[in-house]
Amino acid sequence: MKYTIRQAGSNVNVTPTSPLREFFLLTAGLLGGVIGIYILLGLAVDLIVPRISTDLENKMGRLFIRSIEAKDMDSQRKSYIRSLLEDLQERCAQLPYSIKVHIRQASTVNAAALPAGHIIVYTGLLDKVASENELAFVLAHEMGHFAHRDHLRGMGRAFVFITISTLLFGTDSSISKMLAHGLNITEMSFSRKQETRADEFALETLHCNYGHVAGATDFFEKISKVEDPGKFGHYFASHPERRKRISHLENIIRSREFKLGRRDPLPKTWRQLKD
Amino acid sequence: MNNLLFFLSLIAIGFVVGTLAEKRHYRSIHEREKKLLYLPAVTMKTVINPDKKIASAELVYGSAVISIDYFKRFLASLRNIFGGTVKSYESLIDRARREALIRMKEMAGDATVIVNVRIETSTIGRSANRKGVGCLEAIAYGTAMTLEK
Repeated sequence: MKYTIRQAGSNVNVTPTSPLREFFLLTAGLLGGVIGIYILLGLAVDLIVPRISTDLENKMGRLFIRSIEAKDMDSQRKSYIRSLLEDLQERCAQLPYSIKVHIRQASTVNAAALPAGHIIVYTGLLDKVASENELAFVLAHEMGHFAHRDHLRGMGRAFVFITISTLLFGTDSSISKMLAHGLNITEMSFSRKQETRADEFALETLHCNYGHVAGATDFFEKISKVEDPGKFGHYFASHPERRKRISHLENIIRSREFKLGRRDPLPKTWRQLKD
Repeated sequence: MNNLLFFLSLIAIGFVVGTLAEKRHYRSIHEREKKLLYLPAVTMKTVINPDKKIASAELVYGSAVISIDYFKRFLASLRNIFGGTVKSYESLIDRARREALIRMKEMAGDATVIVNVRIETSTIGRSANRKGVGCLEAIAYGTAMTLEK
């Protein structure tokens, strides 16, 4: 047996490969998977929302409420709004929530419905309203979101994460808190259909409470005159079909033969009630 | 966003520096392997050569520790999800083994042959895919025999 000296020509132990190609291929695969899950979560929202009990929702609400209350303003207007809401709820719109109002200082002409019956009203909105009916319509619109549980759907995919983490880890866990913080709950988006349903709910409530529906479209009219929609919050700015909504409401008013009465004024001291 | 940039730059640094280091290492491996070709290293327990007496036999060994870089680690962790051959680690192990063999031969000096060669590998810092540095050690050892001239 003769030993021949020779150097191995090719290396069989190392696969000739382009690491960059592998990197992009695998990353793309991973991203594809994540996007797939994300889309599925979006679909899961509609499945999960009807199955959420108000009890669980209240638990979830506790996750946000501290950061909301921290910015709360103890306004005199708040007690007025609260009594208005109580009237609406007692007389016309029975909801399984005890609705709590929070007023926040911001130029945003906006109100938002958050989980567990919390309504955030921005001072920008309070400065703009001219009559009680108008304010009642906006509040009833938010109540409509509660009635249809849009406020849970509006949170979108984040809602699925929060529900799962609340169920798994409870409200006191740092994971749930982190999720709640990371989620900008005021950036909820509602579909046109949800807005329309909430508008209809608000109109019914308004009619039931006052016996007429004056002031229902005031807000839309007012806002649509303003040139720059960017200045206003999502409540109206994200509703590009404002004209359509007005005509939709007017159609209902006409077909149901709702009356238009006198608008109830806001308290005389409204302007001085500013914080 | 900052975290992502940080992460991406780590990967880019890992890729560039790691690739350069690997290329340089392979060049050096090829060169030294060629130089040491005169010294056969075999896995047989002995070489039968009745004409010559064995002048000396001693244990020789060489070991090399190679670290993974950030890019390779990330690639391997992606592989952990999808499965398949972890190609990014193959070259690491190859380099470690060959470097260990070269060092063993260098230790043998002017011996005639190294018999009973074994190569073993071990990991240093097992948490290669978590925090900490993942390293691989290869050790090659054998018996260097010098035959009488």
